[in-house]
Amino acid sequence: MSARPPPARPHIAIHPSTYGSRTEWADEDAWDSASDSDEEPPKASSSRVQPRQVPRTKQNTSPDGIAGASTSTLAFSFTQISKPSSYPPNNGWTIVKTKTGSSPPPPDNSPDEPNGDADVEGDMILGDLDPDAMEPMDIMPPAHSKSRTDKGIIRDDINDIVDDPLRGVKHRARRTEHSPRPSPPTSPENAERSEKLMRERSIRTNRRHKFVECLSSQDVNIAELRKLAWAGIPSDIRPMAWQLLLGYLPLPKPLRVATLTRKRGEYLSLVQLAFARDREGQDQQIWHQIEIDVPRTRPGVRLWMHGATQRALERILYVWAIRHPASGYVQGINDLVTPFFQVFLSAYIDSDPETFDPGTLPARALEAVEADSFWCLSRLLDGIQDNYIFAQPGIQRSVRRMAELVARIDAPLSAHLDTQNVEFMQFAFRWMNCLLMREISVRNTIRMWDTYLAEGPDAFSQFHLYVCSAFLVKWSDKLRQMDFQGIIMFLQSLPTQDWGDHEIEMLLSEAFVLNSIWHNAQSHFIGKK
Amino acid sequence: MTEGSNYDYLFKVVLIGDSGVGKSYVLAILLSRFTRNEFNLESKSTIGVEFATRSIDVDGKTVKAQIWDTAGQERYRAITSAYYRGAVGALLVYDIAKHATYVNVTRWLKELRDHADANIVIMLVGNKSDLKHLRAVPTDEAKGFSSENGLSFIETSALDASNVESAFQTILTDIYRIVSSKSLEQATNQVEMPTAGATIDPSGSGNNAAQGSKCC
Repeated sequence: MSARPPPARPHIAIHPSTYGSRTEWADEDAWDSASDSDEEPPKASSSRVQPRQVPRTKQNTSPDGIAGASTSTLAFSFTQISKPSSYPPNNGWTIVKTKTGSSPPPPDNSPDEPNGDADVEGDMILGDLDPDAMEPMDIMPPAHSKSRTDKGIIRDDINDIVDDPLRGVKHRARRTEHSPRPSPPTSPENAERSEKLMRERSIRTNRRHKFVECLSSQDVNIAELRKLAWAGIPSDIRPMAWQLLLGYLPLPKPLRVATLTRKRGEYLSLVQLAFARDREGQDQQIWHQIEIDVPRTRPGVRLWMHGATQRALERILYVWAIRHPASGYVQGINDLVTPFFQVFLSAYIDSDPETFDPGTLPARALEAVEADSFWCLSRLLDGIQDNYIFAQPGIQRSVRRMAELVARIDAPLSAHLDTQNVEFMQFAFRWMNCLLMREISVRNTIRMWDTYLAEGPDAFSQFHLYVCSAFLVKWSDKLRQMDFQGIIMFLQSLPTQDWGDHEIEMLLSEAFVLNSIWHNAQSHFIGKK
Repeated sequence: MTEGSNYDYLFKVVLIGDSGVGKSYVLAILLSRFTRNEFNLESKSTIGVEFATRSIDVDGKTVKAQIWDTAGQERYRAITSAYYRGAVGALLVYDIAKHATYVNVTRWLKELRDHADANIVIMLVGNKSDLKHLRAVPTDEAKGFSSENGLSFIETSALDASNVESAFQTILTDIYRIVSSKSLEQATNQVEMPTAGATIDPSGSGNNAAQGSKCC
């Protein structure tokens, strides 16, 4: 993350409407289904969850039923004791008493809380466990054991995190804080560099503290979280922060366990329903397209080549598609699942998700990753559904607006594209359809979504338009030297391979400025609507 | 800046057909994008359209093709059909191992009738001919269908690269023959064709070397 702070978005009240209540996401009117907006905790609203064309009655997904069956209510849970490289062999599963219970963990805002594990580097084991409470009962097989090849990568407190995302955040916050200090300076330059490093580290630590504090409160202040998230979210905090920003995870702490349990249960029954019925007509077409596209999702990246990931992706896409018949599955939506899946998976492991085989996760955790990805994808798509319905009017509108905007902010470029007969639709269609995911890396996308999610529910259509415009104008000098063929070929494979957070943050800042200037100046645009 | 700004003819050709039949692979072969062992890698699905060019010699003339590789999914039709405008050739691809992709050829032909020039040269391409054991569309059937509908026909395998080059050569040669004879006979007709002049040659606004050349 760049040390240069990007604009502090919320200080400028350009369109304060973005900073409303957390129900905003739900207010987005879905084109053909409002069924995803039932996140408000107390009601399970089983009638809304039911897909419209499904003739069968839905299985019982009442919160009580699910909560009752959930392991989250058990005082004991199965925890995998992993084997850190430096440790004597200690494999196998052990039943340990954890602090996970039906009640949320006691509030503690201090990341420094003495928790029996002062040796913070040893976080791989016993992180949140009370050592005295450990009982050597390794005769018991693990509840959801699978191949354990990734032992040591999967976090030992995985079950706690499944139930309460905050567990993951706090756990790591403590670890990071005690991460190795820079080695003592040996020369003046080194001293200077290390001082700079220290400063950057301290800025980071400071930001992290703010995040941890914000997320640890009994009722998360969403405005505060947005303000923080705009400038980027630390990777271990991201899974929880995204879920809060999307309105998937309830802001009040006491509601979270029950909501997560209910939503995950609902997703499971949606999957069962979807796959229980015969695939005919449109369903068959949808399935066929998904089957073709799943192996083409991030080809070559190990995570996405694993069967477990691909099956999960198939289910996510298919369930979403049959619940949204006006759009169905449209190519490119598969890309949009990947940031969610990777980010949520990262909460449970201590390695790079892209090289991880999720088949080795305990089933419970994998189900959580899948269900959370599904609901968060649904939230995101709610805001851009008209990108994917017949004739894709959302995209057509965005591309048109983008062309108008570019004509205002970079007239020479606009004129050049015009004389070369380059139409915006020829390149920007994909920018809108896949939210620039074909133009920048997933890593870049994830950073970008921190800001989008902080911007609010409109960001994936509105703010994105400004990002795309800034993105095009970035290449203005080059493009103006090119002819039709050169322009199209260049825009088709842009040199963003080396882009890091810095470049993305520059882009977001430029988009922010454009948004501030133009968003309330609609009459400047040539075209109406 | 761009490869081969010297050419005698510039033809726009679209690659169409159902999703997953291998259009982008065909294109990748034409552009020599693959080395052999890269082939097993799946490539991402095409979103909207992708653009490429490739030049070949026909009768001592340099013929340059602008190839628009389109996304196969139905939902994209509204967008992609805009790219048929000005196309003088179409490679209509199906998968010989998937009968449904052959059945849909009729729908693709209708698409072309609705959105492309009436004179467009169409070649039916049965791809994945390496999948002999899975063949679902007999060669003779497709051949018969093609001659009934005035299409040329070829079977290709993007996997072993067989016939891909030859398919491309054939369609460009066909277009070249039609265009070079037509330019004498039907000079008036050309005016209406959006393929003429600057429309098909977007860089033809005076800055390239193809000054004296004809654009179909």
